[in-house]
Amino acid sequence: MRSYLIRRLPSALLVLLAASFLIFTILRLVPGDPATTLAGPDADAATVAAIRDRLGLDAPLLSQYAHWIGSLLTGDLGPSYAIGGQTADLIGDGLGATTELTVAALLFVVLLGTAFGVLGATSRSRWIRTAVRVTTTTALAVPPFVSGVLLVLLFAVILGVLPPGGRVPFLTAPDLAVQYLVLPALCLALPSAAVLGRYLKDGIERGLAEDYIRTATAAGVAPRRLLWRHALPNALPPVVTLLGMQVGHLLGGAVLVEAIFAWPGLGQLAEQGLQRRDYPVVQDLLLLLVAVFVLVQLLTDLVYAWLDPRIRWE
Amino acid sequence: MTELYPFTPSGPSRRSTLRAAGGGTLLLGLGLAGCRSAVSEASSEPQGASAAPKRGGVLNIAVNSDFTPALLFSQSGQSLQHRLIYNTLTRYDDRLSPKPELARSWTYAKDGRSITLRLRDDVTFHSGRRFTADDVIFAVKNLQNPVRAAQLRATAATVTGFEKRGDHELVLKLTHPVNNLFDLFEFMIIADSETVEDAVTGKKLIGTGPFRLTKWSPGSGLSLTRNDAYWQAGRPYLDGVELRVIPQADALISSLRSGQSQLSFNVPGKSLGVVKSDPHLTISDYDTGGGAVYLGVNTTVAPLNDRTVRQALAWAVDRDRLLAQTLGGYGLASAAPWPKSSPAFTEAHRTHYSHDPAKARELLKSAGHSKLELPLLHLALPGDTAIAESLQYDLKQVGVHVTLQPTDLATGQKKLISQDMPALWTMGHGFAQVQPSTLAVSAYPFNEAKNTSKYRSAAYTKVVREAWTKPESGTAEANAQHEKISSILLDEAFLIDLVVRGQVQVAADGLHGVTLNKFSYLNLDNAYLV
Amino acid sequence: MTSTTDLLAAGPPPAASKARGRVRGRHPYRSALSTARARTGLVLVGAVVLAGLLAPLLAGHGPTDQSGQSLAALGTPGHPLGTDDLGRDLLSRVLYGIRADLGIIAIAVPLGAVLGCLFALVAAAHPVADTVVQRVFDLLLAFPGLILALAVTAILGPGRVPVVLVIALAEIPAFGRLLRGGILVQREREYVTAARVGGSSGRRVLVRHILPNAADPLIVQIAVSLTVAVFIEGAMSFLGVGVRPPEPTLGAVLSQSMPYLAQAPNFAAGPLVTVTALVLGLSLIAEALNREIRR
Repeated sequence: MRSYLIRRLPSALLVLLAASFLIFTILRLVPGDPATTLAGPDADAATVAAIRDRLGLDAPLLSQYAHWIGSLLTGDLGPSYAIGGQTADLIGDGLGATTELTVAALLFVVLLGTAFGVLGATSRSRWIRTAVRVTTTTALAVPPFVSGVLLVLLFAVILGVLPPGGRVPFLTAPDLAVQYLVLPALCLALPSAAVLGRYLKDGIERGLAEDYIRTATAAGVAPRRLLWRHALPNALPPVVTLLGMQVGHLLGGAVLVEAIFAWPGLGQLAEQGLQRRDYPVVQDLLLLLVAVFVLVQLLTDLVYAWLDPRIRWE
Repeated sequence: MTELYPFTPSGPSRRSTLRAAGGGTLLLGLGLAGCRSAVSEASSEPQGASAAPKRGGVLNIAVNSDFTPALLFSQSGQSLQHRLIYNTLTRYDDRLSPKPELARSWTYAKDGRSITLRLRDDVTFHSGRRFTADDVIFAVKNLQNPVRAAQLRATAATVTGFEKRGDHELVLKLTHPVNNLFDLFEFMIIADSETVEDAVTGKKLIGTGPFRLTKWSPGSGLSLTRNDAYWQAGRPYLDGVELRVIPQADALISSLRSGQSQLSFNVPGKSLGVVKSDPHLTISDYDTGGGAVYLGVNTTVAPLNDRTVRQALAWAVDRDRLLAQTLGGYGLASAAPWPKSSPAFTEAHRTHYSHDPAKARELLKSAGHSKLELPLLHLALPGDTAIAESLQYDLKQVGVHVTLQPTDLATGQKKLISQDMPALWTMGHGFAQVQPSTLAVSAYPFNEAKNTSKYRSAAYTKVVREAWTKPESGTAEANAQHEKISSILLDEAFLIDLVVRGQVQVAADGLHGVTLNKFSYLNLDNAYLV
Repeated sequence: MTSTTDLLAAGPPPAASKARGRVRGRHPYRSALSTARARTGLVLVGAVVLAGLLAPLLAGHGPTDQSGQSLAALGTPGHPLGTDDLGRDLLSRVLYGIRADLGIIAIAVPLGAVLGCLFALVAAAHPVADTVVQRVFDLLLAFPGLILALAVTAILGPGRVPVVLVIALAEIPAFGRLLRGGILVQREREYVTAARVGGSSGRRVLVRHILPNAADPLIVQIAVSLTVAVFIEGAMSFLGVGVRPPEPTLGAVLSQSMPYLAQAPNFAAGPLVTVTALVLGLSLIAEALNREIRR
């Protein structure tokens, strides 16, 4: 396992390095800079020049890049240019909020996905199986920005049982936090839960069709035991890969869902940072997201190998 | 894949399926069945029917964008907290007559080249430090610093001499008389000089205002708590104020309707219809103007260098339809920039151009054009896009075919201040709600020396300079100056005003005593919840 | 590149490793497309596409013609779906919106597919190239798609080009990884070894034997990608970086309707039903094809 890690690590670092170049370049290609957004619509040239100077935007690009990488290596990310506060604090707060949302969504994905999968594969009622299929198909066919707004309309406006947006940190007041979490997490989770459900359903169906299960059934082993002990575990390895991919998608999807539900996470921060050309915030944030993605992939591969002993780490 | 599996007849029993489902429901329902409801918890306004001012309660304000600390000293999209945390020297009443705040009284020198301010001596900052004349000196110098990007820097820059007479009397000496000094005093917040660098990064905001900042959570908003040592005895009534960022309009509206928030100035005009039907919400319209929507014209792009063509555009647009369809009817269709409360407002100017496509075509024809193709830049925000689409359609009817160029805010702003706009653009401008001269010296689109339209004329410069440096306002002479500014703006049409927009306030019916100053700083000194 | 919309429409990803060395010349898709599921999908997609193609005949108004009649209700004479905030006929906007959407996805998805496959072929050529290509895919997947969309649009200016580009970028790794996986699996199969031993050149083996068999999952991926493309177009419109207004797309009309959801639900109804039908149809087809391939 260690050698596997050692083999994967350099290429992971290479991805990060390439990403840093890409991020830096794209950001500089976007017209406008933090000085123009800070100067406001009525600024004169002197104002813009003074702000550019203060932010060090007149330095050569290469030295700005070096300065950025240096700030990453020393761990001192410095102040944000346009949003305000320290970059590290902004990203820390956003990361907390997004992690909360993603974990909650993942919980929904696993719960709903398993329910869809197991019910869809094993329910005796044709109606339930059809209902599951219709639900998963619909969950996939409705864009998240539509389902988000429909959820707000239903639960916040019409029924009035859940808040339409905003966040209470989980550690401050867990009981309230959960209520703020439900809608955005559900909106984020639905498509992934549907994907997982279908995947699992296929896996279980395939598993139950295996010869040894047929034999066991014939031998009188309890079907429930077969499902939970054999068919489901055997369906898991590919599902873990899928789940790993879904974590990436959940993080990515957070941009839109956070915008809909005013969830102050990384997606909102990234959008706001880009809108205001807040170079340090966007740079650090995007690189962090790439790093998380790379890490999740690495972990997924490891867990996959661990769950499926046929795969060796060599 | 096979549809039938041998397993079906004896699959998991219905009971176990139910049990599994029940477990899931229990987990999911944990929050729902919890001890508090986030919906009712948030609307913690004190109960009671009495209309008399009442101490206590926390006011929740829904805002659509967060406060930007770096823009603390500049006019920005969200300035509500300015007058909550800070004070200003004076405040305007509805007729633009200044009233005392931190300045108790003042005397203008006869030549208009200096003003003596007598300051309150019973004011302390949230840090406990006493407020003195030095803080005013700092505030003025702070605005002179280009880094602060203050729109009223031109006015602040005319103050070149400071003469202290004790701790609470100060003489400001001006290089030349200006008639918008009280605009500056309305605009300029008095911030603690020792912590100003922490203020512009949002770390610490220390003022003398009725509330002190407990926490700014970037992206979610501000928490303020009552300043028990506020210089107005017995004020504020409220225990605290929360500004919560809710960018999504529907979420913002439902937070108002569900009572989670009790005040907002950010309900989009087109959504006000929903709010109007709610008996527990009241809409009030501040005509003092949060800004005006305009169609900008680059006067260096042929054939827009021809004034006749620009005037044709001004006749071609249907301001009333624009107001009704894109702004929900809240605002004032107007060819001139002035709101009704402005000393420069006249009905004749407001209706100088009306919707007259025939006349527009005639003017275009007289200038030798029957069909024009021009680009129009606008911000890629839902409201702005609808305005641009509406303009595009109106202009097409007179043979001006417009290609829309949606742009993000930063790019738009860059093009605006670097005079890099295409032939046409539409945006909003501010600063028509105060002294008319401020518009021409502080709002970049109108600036006589350098503006986005690249319009220059000696006559305009002369009129603007004269209006700015005449200290008197409200006189016949001042009115004549305003008349001159208006007629140049209307005749030259380098900037075609469309709709003057007020601030639209949506408040819960239990909330009383809310006011805004001319720069949309929220004043809650006398506000209370019943 | 991850985005909200990525994979949202993905059913179980086509299983590259399961594809068998199939004899060419059979029509495996014909039987897949004759299932009830696929037929429903084909009818849905066909109806939407037809409506889009016939837009000039069906629409009674220009899609950008405005009038003073804002937010007219469903069934208003002359405006069967009502009108939008600027008094434009919603039926026309939805019909022309379908055309615009089809135009975008018909370019963007094949573009992404071709680029992705090219990457995969490059990867198949040499182990070093393979590593590089894999990391490029990682990078594309790791980048938050909608943030990239905002940046690309800010750089290029608004219009169809950035929308097409963002969709294509999002599709590259999906196609690339699938084909790469397929090639790797097929390479190890006996028939390939046999062909090689039989003296066929490397390229001939690749073109004649490996590609046709590795390509099966790609057909499914195209159907999946089309749905993803519809989603990306919508999400970009929703974030204000879609096609140039006033041109209608399904996403644009839908996002314009959002402020009026409570006041005029019919504003959203047309694009909502159309998007759902289109995506539902495409995913049903994808599912049917996928089942056939994995059988």
